[in-house]
Amino acid sequence: MATTQAPSATPERSRSRTWAWTAGSGVALLVLVTIHMVAHHFVVEEVGGLRTYAQVLEYIGNPVIVVIELAFLVVVTIHAMLGLRSVLFDFGLSERAKRLADRGLVALGVVTVAYGIVLIGVLASRA
Amino acid sequence: MSVRRGADPGLDEIRKGREEAGPVPRKGVGPVAWFDIRRRGLGHFAFSLNRITGLGLVFYLYLHLAVLSTLLRGEDAWDSFLGVATSKFFLLLDVLLIFGLLAHGLNGLRLALVGSGRAVDQQKALYRSIQVIGTILLLGAALRLMGSE
Repeated sequence: MATTQAPSATPERSRSRTWAWTAGSGVALLVLVTIHMVAHHFVVEEVGGLRTYAQVLEYIGNPVIVVIELAFLVVVTIHAMLGLRSVLFDFGLSERAKRLADRGLVALGVVTVAYGIVLIGVLASRA
Repeated sequence: MSVRRGADPGLDEIRKGREEAGPVPRKGVGPVAWFDIRRRGLGHFAFSLNRITGLGLVFYLYLHLAVLSTLLRGEDAWDSFLGVATSKFFLLLDVLLIFGLLAHGLNGLRLALVGSGRAVDQQKALYRSIQVIGTILLLGAALRLMGSE
């Protein structure tokens, strides 16, 4: 018996959805990375714009900054994992290898975000 | 449309694909093709630059997280790291990072506009524009960073 695939399950549809997520997270990153770079390199009047330990704690003690940094962490990780996925898929992987790569990248992304949250949380608690 | 590894789709197929929303099809795919500049246009160069800068930025993301872990070790560890991070060599690496961010970010914006069908016919003009904007921003950032020493 012939079966038909739902449009959402076709490779074509999946590819477009991945592209939309990559482009969407990339556009969001343009805003977030600009805030991050300006705040970390172009505001502080120290060499290289880098904050001292005391200045870092004062900076991360602001709840608005915590939210911005968390958003940056999540969006940059999503964008990075999708980018790595595109590069890996460029190697012409088999369907099984693609599924493994997907799972590996999801795991790596979750670990990355979790580590970042711990880092921000510990520093915010010291502020 | 699908692009298989090792298969170069015809020009008509590429043109048709570029009119549809989504990723822009390429004549050749795979890391080897990134460095193959024979009979390639501006789009291929921009695509390869995006891949290479993207990988560099992913490497930097994890390096950055590792460096920020120094903060967990306390004030002395971080402030002694600052002594290294504010040397001329590291400030030059920061300029390289900003180059990667600008190249990847601005070219990514161009790809998003072209891929979503909003600026298919203006992609070369867009590329030239981001080169000019990127160069101005990079020079400004480099002067700010190196001038702070």
